[in-house]
Amino acid sequence: MERSFAKEVQALRLGDGDTFHGEGILAITKALLQSGVSYVGGYQGAPVSHVMDVLTDAQDLLDEMGIHFEACSNEAAAAAMCAASINYPMRGAVCWKSVVGTNVASDALSNLSSAGVKGGTLLIVGEDYGEGASIIQERSHAFAMKSSIWLLDPRPHLPLVVDMVEKAFELSEASNTPVMMEFRIRACHVHGRFETKDNVPAKISRNAVLTDPSFDYDRICLPPATYVQEKHKFDHRLPAAIDFVRKHKLNEVFDGDCDDVGIIVQGGLYNSVIRGLQQLGLADAYGQARLPIMALNVTYPLVDDEITTFCAGKRTALVVEEGHPDFLEQAINVILRKADLQTRVVGKDVLPMAGEYTLAVVIAGLTKFVEGAVPRGVDHADVARRGADVASNKTKAMELLGKPTPARPPGFCTGCPERPVFTAIKLVEKEVGEIHVAADIGCHTFSTLPPFNIGNSVLGYGLGLASAAGVGPAFGDKRVVSIMGDGGLWHNGLTSGVAGAVFNQTDSVLVIMNNGYSSATGQQHIPSTGTNFRSEPTGQNIREALKGLGVKWQRTVTTYEVGNMMKTLREALSTKTKGLKVIIAESECQLAKQRRIRPLNRKKLESGERLVRTRFGVDDDVCTGDHSCIRLSGCPSLTIKPNPDPLRKDPVAHVNNGCVGCGLCGETADAATLCPSFYRADIVQNPSAWDRWLDKVRRTVIGFLQGLPAVA
Amino acid sequence: MTAFANEPRPTTILIGALGGEGGGLLTNWLVAAAKAGDLPVQSTSIPGVAQRTGATTYYLEVFPTPTAELNGQSPVLSLYPGPGNMDIVVASELLEAGRAIENGFVSPDRTTLIASTHRIFAIAEKSAMGDGRHDSDTVLAAAREMAQTTMLYDLAQAAEVEKTALNAVLLGMIAGSGKLSLPDAAYEDAITAQGVAVDANLRGFQAGLTLARVGAEPVDPDVRRPPEQRIEIDFPAAVAEYAAHGVARLIEYQDLKYARLYLDRVKRVLVIDEAGKDWRLTRETARYLALWMSYEDVIRVADLKTRADRAQRVRAEVGAKPDEPVHVTEFLKPGVEEVAALLPPGLGAALSNWAARRGLTHKLHVARRVRTDTIIGFLQLWLLAKLRIWRRRTYRFAQEHTLMERWLDAVISLAPKDYAFAFELVECANLLKGYGETSARGHGNFSSVFETLVAPALAGGEMDAGRLKAAREAALTDPEGQALGQALTG
Repeated sequence: MERSFAKEVQALRLGDGDTFHGEGILAITKALLQSGVSYVGGYQGAPVSHVMDVLTDAQDLLDEMGIHFEACSNEAAAAAMCAASINYPMRGAVCWKSVVGTNVASDALSNLSSAGVKGGTLLIVGEDYGEGASIIQERSHAFAMKSSIWLLDPRPHLPLVVDMVEKAFELSEASNTPVMMEFRIRACHVHGRFETKDNVPAKISRNAVLTDPSFDYDRICLPPATYVQEKHKFDHRLPAAIDFVRKHKLNEVFDGDCDDVGIIVQGGLYNSVIRGLQQLGLADAYGQARLPIMALNVTYPLVDDEITTFCAGKRTALVVEEGHPDFLEQAINVILRKADLQTRVVGKDVLPMAGEYTLAVVIAGLTKFVEGAVPRGVDHADVARRGADVASNKTKAMELLGKPTPARPPGFCTGCPERPVFTAIKLVEKEVGEIHVAADIGCHTFSTLPPFNIGNSVLGYGLGLASAAGVGPAFGDKRVVSIMGDGGLWHNGLTSGVAGAVFNQTDSVLVIMNNGYSSATGQQHIPSTGTNFRSEPTGQNIREALKGLGVKWQRTVTTYEVGNMMKTLREALSTKTKGLKVIIAESECQLAKQRRIRPLNRKKLESGERLVRTRFGVDDDVCTGDHSCIRLSGCPSLTIKPNPDPLRKDPVAHVNNGCVGCGLCGETADAATLCPSFYRADIVQNPSAWDRWLDKVRRTVIGFLQGLPAVA
Repeated sequence: MTAFANEPRPTTILIGALGGEGGGLLTNWLVAAAKAGDLPVQSTSIPGVAQRTGATTYYLEVFPTPTAELNGQSPVLSLYPGPGNMDIVVASELLEAGRAIENGFVSPDRTTLIASTHRIFAIAEKSAMGDGRHDSDTVLAAAREMAQTTMLYDLAQAAEVEKTALNAVLLGMIAGSGKLSLPDAAYEDAITAQGVAVDANLRGFQAGLTLARVGAEPVDPDVRRPPEQRIEIDFPAAVAEYAAHGVARLIEYQDLKYARLYLDRVKRVLVIDEAGKDWRLTRETARYLALWMSYEDVIRVADLKTRADRAQRVRAEVGAKPDEPVHVTEFLKPGVEEVAALLPPGLGAALSNWAARRGLTHKLHVARRVRTDTIIGFLQLWLLAKLRIWRRRTYRFAQEHTLMERWLDAVISLAPKDYAFAFELVECANLLKGYGETSARGHGNFSSVFETLVAPALAGGEMDAGRLKAAREAALTDPEGQALGQALTG
C-alpha cells in the first residue's frame, strides 16, 4: 500500500474520555467501531481509499473484536455484502468512491433498499466532485432518492461527524433502510479532534456466531414481495425516518438577528457559508451569523415541517446546494408552496448550477443574495464592497500576470512502467497511422493528457475493451486497441470485456497493464498481486484467467522494452489470426517498487555491500533543444534547463536527481532514433578492489589518450 | 449592529506544491506545532490524482486563541481557502506561487508570500519544440505587487546546500514570518516527533528561519567568461561577444582556418549592417552561423563524448562519490544518413538517394550501445572523432555549406531592402538543429519556408517580415508540420 496507517490505527483503540487527533477518514473508522459493527468492506478509490487502507492496517483490532473485513472485488460486491443486515440484526458499513462506485453498486443497492434491513447499514461514499476529483461530475443524491436510501451530508466538524455515524445506524434500524453518508474530498482529508468513546463489540460477530439461518419471504426481491416492499418504503420506512430525524434534531438551526431572510445549506457546505459570511462582515469566527442558517445534515428525506418552520416569516431563503440537478431547491419550493408560504427561494440564480462551491464561488453568491434580498439591518453597500474586494484580487492578478499559468496535469510518475507502453504506441502510430484507442480508468488514463494524447474514449473502470465493441468493426481491418489495467480487469473487465470479446469473436487488440496493484488508488492488492491484503498467497494470475476464458493469442512483454513492445503491437495489429489478441504489459508499479527496494538498498549500502545505482543523463552540449524525447516520455525527472551554450537560446533536456534509472530514456533514444545525447550511468557503490583497479587502469589509459595527466 | 469585528480570526495558510514534494509532511509539522501550543488547528488537502506529479494544495487554519482560553467556544474553521483572506501563502516552486496569485489568494493587505524561485517546468513548457518556458520575471513582479510581504528565494538551492529537504526550509520561513504566535521550539519539537529525517529537517528549519529573519547574502550574478581569444576580432562590441564564442567553437569543431572562414562571412553581413540598428543583424548572424557551421554529425558527437572534462561532468551530474567507478553507456543509432554524411559528395549522394528511393532512410539503423568508460569503447569514439580532418571532403559538409551560402547571400541581398525581413531570415536558421529525423524535419521546414517566402522575395516579389516570423514560429509549434502548412498556404 502507498500509505501505511500502522501508527495512526493505535488511535482506534482510544476509549471513553480520550481525545482523538487525526484525519477525517480515521475518525469515521473510529465511529464505526464505537457503533458496534459486525462487518466492514468496500472498494478503494479517492477520496475514501484510506478507509480501506486504515481497515487493512487495523486487522489486529478487527480480529480481536471479531469484525469481518472484506476487500471486495468491486462496489457491487461491497453493496451486496450488506445482505447480512437484511436477515440479521447485524450492523455493517461499506465504502466506495462516488458517483462511479455507486453506479457499479446500484444493482445491489436497489435490491438491498427494496428488501430493507434489520441491522443498521451504512454506505460511506466519497463524493468525488470538484477540484481534485478524478472522475465524471455527478451527484450521489439521485441514487438516494430513486432507491429510497437516506442521505446524510454532515457538517465537517469531527465531533458531529462521529455522532452522525452513530446516529446513522440508529436511523437505519428505526426505518429499516440503508443510510448513505457522503463526504467531500476535503472533509475526508480534514485533520481535527473529537472526544472518543469505548469501542462496542457487535452482538453478532466472528466472536459470537449465528446458529440459525433466518428465512422470511418478505425479504426476497421477487414479486409479489417486491410490491409489498415498495409500499412498505412509503407507508412505514419514510415516516419512521422523518420522525427519527425530527426527534433527534439531526438538522441544525442557527439563529441570526436578520431573520427576515435565511440560508438553508447542505451540512457539508456549512463551514464555507460561515466563512463567506465572515469575509462579508456578517459572521464571527465562532459561527455566530447575522442571517439565520439551517444546516441540513440529512439531505434526503427532507422534514417538511422543519423547512416550513424555518422559512415562516422570511421573505427570502437562499439554498446553498452543490451540483445539479437542484434537488433540494426544487423540493424546498414544493414544500413551501404546498404549505402556502410565500418565502421566495433563491439558489441556482445566484450560485452556479455546476461545479464545486469553493469559497470564491460561495462569497460571490452570498454577495449577490444580500444585494438582492436586502436583509433588514444589513449594510448591504458594505457587503457589496467587501464582495467586490474579494473578487478584485483575482482580476488584478490576471492583469499583472498577463497570461494564464501553465497547467500541471497529473502524469505518470518517474519511472512508471505504463509510460513506455504509450511511447511504443506513439511510435507505432508513426508507422501505421493513428489508431483508435479505447482507454480505461487507472493511472494509464493519464495517457490521454500531454504529452501522449493517446486514448479516444474513457467509459468507466474495466470497460476499455467493452467500449471498443461498437467502434472496432467500424474501422474494418484497421484494428482498434483497448487498454485495461489489472485493477479494471479484476473489477469487471474480465467478464464485461474479455469474456464478451471472446464470446463475440471480436477481432481486436487489448493491452493489459499488469503492474501488480490497484495503483491509482494507493497500491492496494488485487487478485493478480499474488497475495491478498493480509499477505496470504492467493494463486491467481492473469494469464491463467485469460486462458480459462478462451483467449488463444497472448503475449507478455516487459513494459520497459519499447522495441519489443512495438514489435508485439505491430504483430497484434497485423496478424492474420482473428479474434482477441491480448498483450500483457508487465512491470511492477514504480512507486511500490521504490518503497520496497529503497530500505533494502540502504541496508546494503550501510553494510558495505557492492551495489550498482543506475540513472540516466543528458550531455548538454550534444542536446540541441528540440525536446522530442520529452514528447515521447513526459517523465517528471526528464526536464529542461537553461542552455549552457552561450550561442543557443532554447533550453536543453536534463535528467534531474529524481531519476530511478528505469531505462526508458535509452530505449526511446534507440527505438525512436532520437539523438545521441542520452547516456546511462551505472554508479558502483561500495566498489570491490577489482572494480577500483579496473577503473584506475581505464582512467589512466583514457586520460593518456586525451593527452592529459591520468586521474588517479 | 453593523458588521462583526474582524478579530479574532483564524490565521490562514495555503500551501501550493507538487505531488511528492512533502507538502503533506509540512502540513503535519504545522498541525503538530499548533497542537503543542494548544491552538485550535484544522488542515485539509486535495490529493486526488494530483499526487501523481500534478499541482496540489494543502490548507490550514490556526486559531490564535488557545483552546484553554476559549471558554468552551469553538471556532468554525473553513475547509477552503478564501480569496483575499490568506495570511500566509507558501509555494514550493515559482509557478505554483503564480497559480496562487492568479486564483486571488495573494492580497496586498494581508498576505505574506513565501515561495521558492526555482522552476520545475510544466509539461507544456518542457515539450515545446523551442523555448516554451513561462516568464519567471512576470510572476516575480506580480508577487511583489500583490503580496504584503514577500520572501522569495531559491530554496531548492538552499536545501541542497544544507543537505536537507525544501519543505523543512519552508517550515522555518513560516516560523520566521511570525504570523503564527508559536515559539521556534514548537516547530522543532514537531519535526522531532514526526521522526522523519530529523537532523536534516532541523537543519533545514534553521536555514529557513535565518532566511526569514536575516535574509540571504546577495549572490553574484553569473559572470560569463569570454572565450580565450586566438584571432583578433575587430567588430563592434555588440557583435564581438558572439563572434568570439563562434570563433572558439569553430576552432574546437574544425580548425583555425575554419574559424577565419566564419569571420569572413560575418564581415560580409557587417558591412551592410547599420550601427543605428545596434548591429542586430550581424549579431544574430554571428550566433546562428557559428551554430550552423558546427552542425551536429557523428564526428562532433564522438568528439564531445570523449573530451577530458566530460567524464567529470557526468560524475558530478549523477552524484558519484570520488571512489565510485561510473560506467557510462552511450545510445548511438547511426543510420544511412549518418554514413552518407561521411562519404565524399558523389558517393554520399548516391547512397542517400538509393535509401530514399527504397524508403529506407529512417529504417536502416544499427543500434549501438558503447561503453565510453572502457578502453575499447572509448577508442571507438575517440577514433571516430579523429575523422575531423576528413570532414571538409564529406557529402554533408558540401550540402550544409551550399545551403548556408544561399541563406547568407539572401540575407545580404535583402537586408538593404527590408531589414526586418532579413533579420527574420537570419532567425530561420534556428529551425536547423538536432539529429536524424529532427534534423531532417528541420531542413525540410527550412527549405519550405525558404522556397515559399524567401525565393520570391529574391526575385523581386513581396517581403512580409511578419509572415516569415509566423512561419518560423509555426514550424516550431508541432512536429507534424500542420501549423507550418497552414502558415505557408494561408
